[in-house]
Amino acid sequence: MSETFFPINDLLRRKLQTSLTIISLTLCVASTLFLLLFSEKIGFGISLMVEGKLTSSFSSVFSRFIIFVSFLVFTVGALIMSFMIFLMISQRVRDIGLMKAAGCTNDLIFGYFMTELLIVTFISCGLGVVLGITADFFFAGLLNTLGFQVLQEPPNFWIALLVFALYFVLALILGAKPVLDSAKLEPVKAFSPTHYLGLSRESGFEVFSKLGFAPKVAMRNLFRRKSGTFQIIVCLTTIFILVTVSIAGGIIANQTTKDWVEKAVGRDVVLIAQKDMINQYELSLAKFHEVKEDSHFDYSDEKYSIPEDILSILNSTEEITDIDERLVLKTHVEEIQTYRIIPETGATIPVGDDREGESLIIGIEPGKALNNWFLEGKLLHEDQSFEAMIGDSLAQKMFSTPLIQGIRLFDTDFAVIGICLDPIENGNVTYVPLKTLQEITGKPKPNGVMIKIDPSANRTQILSQIKNEIGSINFEFEVLELNEVLDKNLGFLSYIWSSIMFLPLFALASASLCLIGYVMLAIAEQRQEFGVLRAVGAKPKTIIKIVLWQNFLVLLSSCAIGISSGVIITLMILVSKPLVTIYATIEITGWLLIALVILFILGVYPAVRFAKKPILEIIA
Amino acid sequence: MKAAVAASLLCKTYLTEDAKVEVFKDLSFKIGKGKFAVLSGPSGSGKTTLLNIISGIDKPTSGKIVVFGEDLSIKDEDFLANFRCFNIGFVFQSYNLVSTLTVAENVAFPMEWIQKQENYMTNRIEKLLEVVGLQHRADHFPFQLSGGEQQRVAFARALANDPHLFLADEPTGNLDAKTSLKIVQILQKLKTEEKTVIVATHDEQIFRLADQKLCLEDGKLVNLNE
Repeated sequence: MSETFFPINDLLRRKLQTSLTIISLTLCVASTLFLLLFSEKIGFGISLMVEGKLTSSFSSVFSRFIIFVSFLVFTVGALIMSFMIFLMISQRVRDIGLMKAAGCTNDLIFGYFMTELLIVTFISCGLGVVLGITADFFFAGLLNTLGFQVLQEPPNFWIALLVFALYFVLALILGAKPVLDSAKLEPVKAFSPTHYLGLSRESGFEVFSKLGFAPKVAMRNLFRRKSGTFQIIVCLTTIFILVTVSIAGGIIANQTTKDWVEKAVGRDVVLIAQKDMINQYELSLAKFHEVKEDSHFDYSDEKYSIPEDILSILNSTEEITDIDERLVLKTHVEEIQTYRIIPETGATIPVGDDREGESLIIGIEPGKALNNWFLEGKLLHEDQSFEAMIGDSLAQKMFSTPLIQGIRLFDTDFAVIGICLDPIENGNVTYVPLKTLQEITGKPKPNGVMIKIDPSANRTQILSQIKNEIGSINFEFEVLELNEVLDKNLGFLSYIWSSIMFLPLFALASASLCLIGYVMLAIAEQRQEFGVLRAVGAKPKTIIKIVLWQNFLVLLSSCAIGISSGVIITLMILVSKPLVTIYATIEITGWLLIALVILFILGVYPAVRFAKKPILEIIA
Repeated sequence: MKAAVAASLLCKTYLTEDAKVEVFKDLSFKIGKGKFAVLSGPSGSGKTTLLNIISGIDKPTSGKIVVFGEDLSIKDEDFLANFRCFNIGFVFQSYNLVSTLTVAENVAFPMEWIQKQENYMTNRIEKLLEVVGLQHRADHFPFQLSGGEQQRVAFARALANDPHLFLADEPTGNLDAKTSLKIVQILQKLKTEEKTVIVATHDEQIFRLADQKLCLEDGKLVNLNE
């Protein structure tokens, strides 16, 4: 018998097992490739969407998220692949024992089964690549027609080739060891289920035996096939980490980034300034969600200064709880290089360069600012200090280690004490103490005032009163509620996250397919047992119950580990200082429960299909 | 005589990819309650198929099979499962023990799904294993037993729910004389308990126990008593 004749014949005669393994591996390769291609497209789509928009910290949250999810997708694929190969080979250990008992040499057995493995993995990887590319092309088109911005261009064939090569090699490496181990096994051991099932006797099913026959048998089956059970739990755990990171990460990151923006701009904040200044300020805030050309605007023009009368009116209005006077300017800024001393050697190394650029400069009264930034470092706290707080985009663009460096503006040096996330001018902003700025620029008056109205007061009435009073002093000065532009910024963030949320959806679909594959293989492996149960008097629904209990127990243990690990990864790695509200917790729990239920329901299908088969067909 | 099993015009045909195989045609017979019937015939004559049909595991292509007054050829799977569970004990030719269950668990599971009390099951398993002489093997897995021992576990499992009809397919076919004798003794005990027993066999010792001898040959059934 030639080394190719036997494997091909063997695979063809074991149609059910061969097709199940090929289908499962194909789905695994296809779903991994699809998710990688699709996340790449979403990533590009987002990068196109955010080009010239979003501050650097926001962009990094998105990219970190997509990279991590892609990494998980690949890991999940590899684990599922290893599991399938393990099942495929473990089902053959007994046959290998028989062949050895009949006098077949180790080399020949290794050759036969490696050829089988080669054929199966080559076909599966090939079909998987074709299916993955087709699915990606189809869904990208579908989502574009639905109005989502997903890049529609020919798939990245390098990724396809990479997935094919990696999975093919991985399958051969993962499969070679069990084949080699089995080939070396003594025939008598190969016949023993202790080896091919990892069978061991455990007691302790008391809790389950009280629940009835099906849970008891299910628990026993899982315990007795511990190596297979362990592998599928590891596999599904990784899938649940992926689903959790995608769902919980998506929701938490969405809320957290929105919270950063909302706190930085301030909810219910009202700006009072000259009308051109108001337009310019609005434009600066809108740069977060839409690309705006920089037009020349002279912030230092005296006509923008807030008249004393207006300030008096604001100060005398009882319903105004907070007044935040600002001097907004734009100027050339320079990075100040500094030195760091290495304690061990006493040597100094330069930090930074002499980069320069333009930045919006905002003078604020420390302690009175209405913004509540997400901050690295410290807030401005002294009225006349030479300290500055810079936006994250400016920090990234112009500084090496901003918090130990300084910034030069209006020929004056300021120490950088904080980096804030602020959507204004897309993070290209520098906050300094108002009095210091007034002194160095010789501009004693603010050109903008932010106010907050007592929430218990009649807001509409107070605003209208303020508008009238200001208009009577100088009709060029107006009042602007910042909520509208804030909502546009928040809406933009929601839009990006809604695109990203397709990833968990597809990750879930891929997980479901893998679970179905596992259930089908697991049932195929237990068919003799189920056949005997049916022959001795078990009803078809008893078999379905047993399989469902097995699925439930496997899913429960996987989701317990997977979800908790996913949440930890999300909170500790993906999103810094995450905001987790009760609403978010309920939403995440709801989605994860839906995911769990979907997976569970999909796992029912193979069980129902199997239970309907005639007993003789099952036993045979 | 009140019939435990009554077959009329029973036919079984298998369709393969390229042929139609007729196993038997127009079989009609009756086996009385409490009788010991032996079914013989050459290999491939359809003995196993007939036992499968009597137990409701398989369905006839045409004809009627009535067991304890129930026409099994028209019943659904749930009914048949229940019927097997409460009324029929079946010892398969290839034992068909569940490889992942211990001897005691293999004997226990038919009782488990009709929710027998734990104490009852423990006592019953003990008693059945004593009958088949395998008390000391209760915690072993099937692969740790010899063929004869596995056959005896299959007997214990078939007797677990104290069935009215006991079917055995070549129970001594693969066994040595000493082990066969043990099996024959169990069958003899069943006969004395006036259970209805149908055994497919060529074993002379079992033939001696028979009240009714049937022979399947060329798709026809011959009553050797007549």
